[in-house]
Amino acid sequence: MVEGILFVLMAVTALAGAVTVVVARNPVYSAMGLLGTLFSVAVLYVAQLAHFVAAVQVIVYAGAVMTLFLFVIMFIGVDTSDDRDERLPMQRFWVGILAGVIVLLAAGITLSGNFDWVPAAVETIPEATNGTIQAIAEPLFTDWVLAFEATALLLTISAAGAIALAHFKGQRT
Amino acid sequence: MSPYFESYLTVGAFAGLGAVLVLGMLGIAAVLRPTNPTSAKKMTYECGVDPVGSGWSQTYVRYYVFGLLFVIFEVEAVFIFPWAIILERLGVFGLVEMMIFIFILVLGLVYAIRKGVLEWE
Amino acid sequence: MTFTIDYLALAPELVIVGTLLVVFTLDMVLTRPKKFWIATAAVAGTALAAIPLVILGVQGETRSMFDGSYVVDEFALVLKGLFIVAAYLVLLMSHHYIESERYYQGEYYFLLLASVLGSLVMASSRDLIILFIGLELTTAPLFLLTGWRKGDAKSNEASLKYFILGVLSTAILLYGMSFLYGLTGEITFSGLAEATAGRGDEPAMVMAILFVIVGFGFKIAAVPFHFWAPDTYEGAPTPITAYLSVNSKIAGFVALLLMLYIALPGVSEVWAPALWILAALSMTVGNLSALRQTNIVRLLAYSSVAQAGFMLVPFAAAAVVGADLEEAFAATVVYLAIYAVMNLGAFAVVIAGARKTRSGELSAWAGLAQVDSRLGVLVAVFFFSLAGIPPLAGWFAKFAMFRSVMIAGGTTTVVLAVIAAVNAVIALYYYAKVVKTVWVDDPTGEFVEDVEAAPAVSLRLALWVSLALTVAIGFFPALVTFVGDASRVIAVGG
Repeated sequence: MVEGILFVLMAVTALAGAVTVVVARNPVYSAMGLLGTLFSVAVLYVAQLAHFVAAVQVIVYAGAVMTLFLFVIMFIGVDTSDDRDERLPMQRFWVGILAGVIVLLAAGITLSGNFDWVPAAVETIPEATNGTIQAIAEPLFTDWVLAFEATALLLTISAAGAIALAHFKGQRT
Repeated sequence: MSPYFESYLTVGAFAGLGAVLVLGMLGIAAVLRPTNPTSAKKMTYECGVDPVGSGWSQTYVRYYVFGLLFVIFEVEAVFIFPWAIILERLGVFGLVEMMIFIFILVLGLVYAIRKGVLEWE
Repeated sequence: MTFTIDYLALAPELVIVGTLLVVFTLDMVLTRPKKFWIATAAVAGTALAAIPLVILGVQGETRSMFDGSYVVDEFALVLKGLFIVAAYLVLLMSHHYIESERYYQGEYYFLLLASVLGSLVMASSRDLIILFIGLELTTAPLFLLTGWRKGDAKSNEASLKYFILGVLSTAILLYGMSFLYGLTGEITFSGLAEATAGRGDEPAMVMAILFVIVGFGFKIAAVPFHFWAPDTYEGAPTPITAYLSVNSKIAGFVALLLMLYIALPGVSEVWAPALWILAALSMTVGNLSALRQTNIVRLLAYSSVAQAGFMLVPFAAAAVVGADLEEAFAATVVYLAIYAVMNLGAFAVVIAGARKTRSGELSAWAGLAQVDSRLGVLVAVFFFSLAGIPPLAGWFAKFAMFRSVMIAGGTTTVVLAVIAAVNAVIALYYYAKVVKTVWVDDPTGEFVEDVEAAPAVSLRLALWVSLALTVAIGFFPALVTFVGDASRVIAVGG
């Protein structure tokens, strides 16, 4: 019951945020819309007993990544957002049609066929524990140690690459 | 309501309280204060000097690198949480793998320092 | 916690990791005149990585780690060998190019080696997570490297287009993968193979598989997901273009083949028609567009789109008629190996030629053979090899492809074979046009004729190696058939 209400509430805010991202004229508002979506999805994670994922969502995405987004928006400058010449005739119209078709298709796929693949609702919700974080940690630091170390490399790549591309001072080759 | 959601009720209560506090303060102020706007009062306050340009000003690209380094070390922190929980069971192996992870990230930071990205001028 | 790591099996990857960390550190320590040590370290480290590969190959046993999600079998070893040889050639091509244009050197090699590492990881991956991380590690450095000519607007455009479309394709791929996981609850390829078998009629499953194919379609630049390729290839530094068209494309193919051959063989009725259409479109559109190109790099870009179509043919053909996929798998791997050698040669010759013509426009290349006949011979060898003319290596790639189609049999495959044959003729036209321009046409402008314009030692080495391989494989196809045979020894893992 609670989960149902929570789901509807958060799904609506998530979608509203997503629509804001696309529709808003000012990119800063778009970023705020994205923030709303990220938070709503975090709440949905909590409802699915995935505390750790929810925490990561808030810390990394709503925190750090959004900060980066805002830096980038401010770096490009909000005023240039007026530049909205549309190269293709009726581009909004066709994109709207395309989006409608995709939504209908997705709805059709979801509604058609059977729902066998959807796991049945669990009758008794397990108590809130640290279980999820342990369940993530165990395989992450044993079986997927390679992926874990590769992540460090990926992060360093992004830092070094961004600095090399964005930093002009001195041009030390 | 299941005990699981009850335990999260605290989070909801805190969020609600925060919202009520902020809205309450602003609301009370709006009711109590005299309203007598002049064009000088509506201006953005900037140390007594008239503000120049719009509030949406462009920033330097160097902030981008700060933002990126922030993201990187935040992701590192996120990895450290689950690691810390099972460190005892992982033993030396766990320690070594996290050291390698941090070493690679710190190398990126040292690189940023060497390139003079973090110097302020 | 019982848990062991087979360090010998991981040795090639570990050597590359060590090398790239050394390269990165050297870049911070060394002063400008001593930067050549960085390139030396990168080249030496890449060569060193081949040693454990050979040891593992001689031992010839299949090693499985991490609950079977990381497997070192003969298929993985052969492809790792291919990736390392190709990376070695690209490093040789890069050396002088990067030094003479005053680019950032240390970071360049660091990023390139990281990409190589990603492709090595992909060859061994047998689950979705490792596959995805390997793919990210392969492509993420390339987004940056394509924009390495910072002052050049075309390079910026190349980087931006590649980045936006690359990220979009990654997102689509990941979405498809998450559906696959959600539908089956399995993350390893062996588990997926079991759980997906016979479920090709579920709409959600079809959608997941198509998403995966679309995602990889971008990575291998198959039509209609090829739009980024010509602009990116043209704007990127030429050694990076060579890397994009060889290593990165092969890595995409490896991932696609692993997914389809090991994880999703039970639902081939879903992906086979899609693959068939991709193959036919890529060949036709790639070749027809290449006909109209006046820039040699763009021509090679469309040519590599068309070649991707040829590479898809064996698998698409065998899957559509439900024939045994093993033969097609081996043929594709043989094609990949030959394509790598001759395409790298073609790009090396473009780099060498561009030093004399100072232009990528085909008109500026007219009559190049009159002033430098050796370069002219190289142009002829590599472009005729790409066209598939015996006795150069390319003929055997085409032969292996057509043979596997014939083995599969059936009407739809014959149609595909006819499309492929027509396209092979079209391709011959534009490859021959390049050779004709270089040999027959009169020079339209001046060529740069000083010591600076002569190919550097490293570039010459790259040219010699690819020339030797192209000719040798053409005369002795046995040199490369073992690659196909070895790839048959592929472990499912898990």
